[in-house]
Amino acid sequence: MPTSRRIRLTVNGKPHEVVVEPRTTLVDLLRGELALTGTHVGCEHGVCGACTILWNGKAVRSCIMLAVQADGADLMTVEGLAHDGQLHPIQQAFMEEHGLQCGFCTPGFLMSVYELLQRNPNPTDEEIKETLGGHICRCTGYQSIMKSVRLAAQKLKASSPPGPATGVS
Amino acid sequence: MKPPSFEYAAPKTVDEAVSLLKQHEGEAKILAGGQSLMPLLNMRLARPGLLVDVARVDGLDGIREVDGCLAIGAMTRQRSVEHSELVKRHFPLVHAAILHIAHPQNRNQGTVGGSLAHADPAAELPAIALALDAELRAVGPGGERRIKAADFFVTYLTTALEPTEVLTEVRFPALPPRTGWSLIELARRHGDFALTGVVARLAADTGGRCSAAQIVLFGVGATPVRARRTEELLVGEKCSAPLFERAGKTASEEIEEPLSDVHASAEYRRDLARVLTRRALAEAASRAAG
Amino acid sequence: MAVEIPKSLADLPTSTPRFIGKAVNRVEDPQLLTGRAEFIDNVTLSGMLHCAILRSPHAHARIKSIDVREAEKLPGVVAVVTGEDATRWSQRITTVPEKWGTYCLAADKVRYVGEPVAAVAASSRYVAEDALELINVDYEALPAVVNATTAAAPDSPLIFEEHGSNVMLQRVFTWGDVDAAFAAADQVFTEKFRWNRLGANPLETFGVISQWDTTDGNLTCHGSFQSQYHMGLGTAAALGLPSNKVRMISQPHGGSFGGKGGMRGTVITALLSRKADGRPVKWIEDRMEYLAGGAGQSWDRHYEASLACKKDGTVLGFRVKLLDDLGATAEGFGAVSAAKPLTAFTGCYAIPVAQYDLTIVATNKLPGSPYRGMGPPPHNFVLEQMMDIAARGLGMDPAQIRRKNYIPPEAFPYTIASGNEYDSGNYEAALDTVLKMANYQQLRAEQAQARQQGRLLGIGLVNTIEPGVFDWNAYAIVGMQQTGVPEGATVGIDILGKIVAKIGFSLEGQGQYTVITQVLADYFGVELEDVRVVYQDSLSAPPHFGPGGSRLGVAITGAVLGAAERVKEKLVTVAARLLQSDPQNVELRDGKVGIKGVPQASMPIAQVAGAMLARSDLLPPGMDPNPEATYVWTAPGRTPADEQGRAKSYLTAANACHLVLVEVDAETGQVQILKYYIADDCGTRLNPANVEGMTQGGVAQGVGAALLEEYVYNEDGQLLTSTFMDYLLPTINEVPMTEKVALCTPSPFTPLGAKGVGEGAMHTTPAAIMCAINDALVPLGVRALEVPASPHRLWKLLQGKAKS
Repeated sequence: MPTSRRIRLTVNGKPHEVVVEPRTTLVDLLRGELALTGTHVGCEHGVCGACTILWNGKAVRSCIMLAVQADGADLMTVEGLAHDGQLHPIQQAFMEEHGLQCGFCTPGFLMSVYELLQRNPNPTDEEIKETLGGHICRCTGYQSIMKSVRLAAQKLKASSPPGPATGVS
Repeated sequence: MKPPSFEYAAPKTVDEAVSLLKQHEGEAKILAGGQSLMPLLNMRLARPGLLVDVARVDGLDGIREVDGCLAIGAMTRQRSVEHSELVKRHFPLVHAAILHIAHPQNRNQGTVGGSLAHADPAAELPAIALALDAELRAVGPGGERRIKAADFFVTYLTTALEPTEVLTEVRFPALPPRTGWSLIELARRHGDFALTGVVARLAADTGGRCSAAQIVLFGVGATPVRARRTEELLVGEKCSAPLFERAGKTASEEIEEPLSDVHASAEYRRDLARVLTRRALAEAASRAAG
Repeated sequence: MAVEIPKSLADLPTSTPRFIGKAVNRVEDPQLLTGRAEFIDNVTLSGMLHCAILRSPHAHARIKSIDVREAEKLPGVVAVVTGEDATRWSQRITTVPEKWGTYCLAADKVRYVGEPVAAVAASSRYVAEDALELINVDYEALPAVVNATTAAAPDSPLIFEEHGSNVMLQRVFTWGDVDAAFAAADQVFTEKFRWNRLGANPLETFGVISQWDTTDGNLTCHGSFQSQYHMGLGTAAALGLPSNKVRMISQPHGGSFGGKGGMRGTVITALLSRKADGRPVKWIEDRMEYLAGGAGQSWDRHYEASLACKKDGTVLGFRVKLLDDLGATAEGFGAVSAAKPLTAFTGCYAIPVAQYDLTIVATNKLPGSPYRGMGPPPHNFVLEQMMDIAARGLGMDPAQIRRKNYIPPEAFPYTIASGNEYDSGNYEAALDTVLKMANYQQLRAEQAQARQQGRLLGIGLVNTIEPGVFDWNAYAIVGMQQTGVPEGATVGIDILGKIVAKIGFSLEGQGQYTVITQVLADYFGVELEDVRVVYQDSLSAPPHFGPGGSRLGVAITGAVLGAAERVKEKLVTVAARLLQSDPQNVELRDGKVGIKGVPQASMPIAQVAGAMLARSDLLPPGMDPNPEATYVWTAPGRTPADEQGRAKSYLTAANACHLVLVEVDAETGQVQILKYYIADDCGTRLNPANVEGMTQGGVAQGVGAALLEEYVYNEDGQLLTSTFMDYLLPTINEVPMTEKVALCTPSPFTPLGAKGVGEGAMHTTPAAIMCAINDALVPLGVRALEVPASPHRLWKLLQGKAKS
């Protein structure tokens, strides 16, 4: 029996201490013991992007990360975006531009877009495509997602939303 | 697709990592960024007894210029290289290679050392390591070893690293003055592994005569390969489209046994090598002139 | 009582519809954007176990023995089932055509790589997968049959020995005097085409939690079900259960596109639950399982087609010969994809006669499933390519030959040779719109210039019918007997005037909950927030099917309006009583029920509903005091199929015209899509954003089909494309942003004149891109006849090394 490890991590601003088997993937920890089921599993080999979360402020594929790698990390998932029942401007933009249909890929997209706009509030279309290129959407054909990101950038510049659940490095 | 059981260790120093590798020789595998290893674990194609996570080892990441070379710590995330002003301005070929690696979400986690140690034949970093005559540094039970890129990539997914060694750093020399470069690959989608790729370095004198050339083909064989006969063909000749046309043909003939898979046959890869070599040389020549 | 479903917006009891026809924000979005939507893998039930499935590594083999004892002993394992349990406790899974199927777990032999052989229920998926490694199966390999042509030969090894042949179906359907038409032609053009396997690949794979009630023998399944009703019937049949003992609960699911599947997984988890004393058992299909063993493979086709033409371009007849490789069994219902082309066999053209020589054959590959478009995408690729080939042969422009052959607008409703009826359409308008958008003459000039520079620029101009509102009779030729696909809704107003609509399908992505909300808000003159859509499971909802065959927008609008009309009748009766007038003088208008022409004599619907529920003393004697009604909509005027498969099947015929500009790299074979224009016409758009979104989504899948997606089996039947590294889905970098114009030719047959959409652009984009590539290759005198047109394939053509 492999040695379980105790790890400490912060998710959406909340500290957690859990005991995990080394082989438990990060997405399974989030969805299982931490009951944050907004992050989805689409392929389990790092291609589709549905599992994307922020790890110390950077968008990563949590299906190809181990929970133990996140010891000491500051994570953010889609549950950290909305605040007090109010959609985050990025979420609002996706709704207004119809950037989703079945919604399964959406949380992953939102996290990558969040990272992009934190780092680069005025992305060019090329820069947006570079970020979105790491995700697969089978429903929208991406056109409305492009529009959603452009609108999200505008919304974020127009307002300063209340700080999200975690800091970003 | 859940991994099989394994033990996990997160050493804090290189020595600790090395001694874990020695203690569990044959059973231990290094985990760096995990972008290549984790899918294999999820598919149960890799079954290490112990994963040695080197992400917490002190001093394994960093980007600096040392003696005119770009020294990158093995654990440096690819994204750090992508955003490094030093790399963008002074080592543009390294920068260009990083931009071809998968997608930003992979590059946030993936490491320079991990890509080099994994040695996928279609990966960009091994190809430019070869093209730039990089030096790879590793630490094992016997101390530090410096391995030339030309000796580092042995065969498919296999490097000269011993099972008890940890890759610590790679040093890319700068391109000499008046040297143009090019990296061109053909992939099914943006960010995919190359079906065939070419890295070309070309130095020309003021008369437009090629004074030095280095051409690396990747994605075509078990490792990236230098197209030496093609390089010899170019040196001393005046850069021109017909010259590059001939160089492309020669390069394609230098591949011994091109890979064949669902995406590309051996003949297709051979012909892509011809076309992409010609195009890469043209681009490198224009960079050398400009 | 007879109900008149409103045929246009003008028929609604509202002066100015505020919501229908607008791109309102979707009511589904907040739960999806915040990650709260309960996809199946989010559901945890008390005592739940996790299932993993052991799958065959062989394409064709006898199972000599199977030993699960070590697996059963692994700590955390609660139950293991094999083919023996399946034969004891279940029946063969229903197939279309009939009798080409097997049990949920292979019993005597395996017929495709990935076929389930055993399954484990354990404390976690991790442990369950560990247990699979402890199961020993002794196989005796048999020769694998992977080539469709040799599979059809009489001496081929047999997939199902009891049938004596691998041919599941072989028939020639002849509609009209085809021989005469071909004899009268000035020119006959013939070509062969190959379309390779590809498939749905929704982002969410299949998932199910089955719970067997050991006392009552009831089965309850939560799952990622496209049609809970259809799944429930199939599961009941497979388990030999009475249909009312099976309850299917459909969770919001991450897309389907026809390719969700899950029958085997549902039955397997039911068996495990039974063996595990009734504990719920969850199975989440992982992506590799989906690719090799799920509902994600479709359209493995060999075509030969002929077009008989007069020299002025008039098409006199169309012949198609199709060899359809359905894989090892007919359980996936992929055969319906071979039948659906009948619904629009001759496309937008008034081709009077046609013939369909259809062979469906079994091979040792994954059973084929439906995929968006259901068969017309490859068929349209063939038809539109033939039109282009004919145009070139006759010296005509592709726009010219199409215009020559269109069914004219005044000819509708129009019955095509293969029997279906198109409701309405204006194909020339779509063509002219696209030519204008694209500045066609300018593009041709650019192409000419590029050709002089040796560049391969190509223009694809295609138009298709996108049939909508499917009916089972469309698939009569593969054995479907039914006519009619009922869809029901219950609409009610509560005591405070809020509206609830109850329906039998969950979220899949098409936005029907929003459409329902829009329709009812406008009908009853309330705000969007005053309407709530409530999901009901398979035993609770009125008869339903759910999404599929581009039907649900129309069907549910019909159901909801029908129910609303019935509610209105009751409101009017009660209001008349309260206003002391005659029901004939009372109407619902803009949210109020009152005497026609007397605005002061009216009351808000809340008041009337309140009276019904709380003032029984005021009601007419015998009046039903419930301000709620159910209506089940089914398409009007459907006919059973005749012996040649002809039937009025799909109710609506949306149409589209696409123009795409591509460049083919003459040395590498890579294709770049430079421009993409769409004019499409689906009648009234209930929510334009929904339609546009699905159109663009169809374009993306069409790009995948034309250029990227392909399942490759080697000669041993091993799947070489078993992960997303090799099965390539298009990303934003591969999909063009398209320019779209919407035209509107309403349907005379449907609620509010809307036509079915959803499958949309998938019918058209593969044809458009392939026609563009072939247009690019014209100077080289080679034809790209195989899909996908991967760089490798095009390179071979360019080298002149291809066999046609």
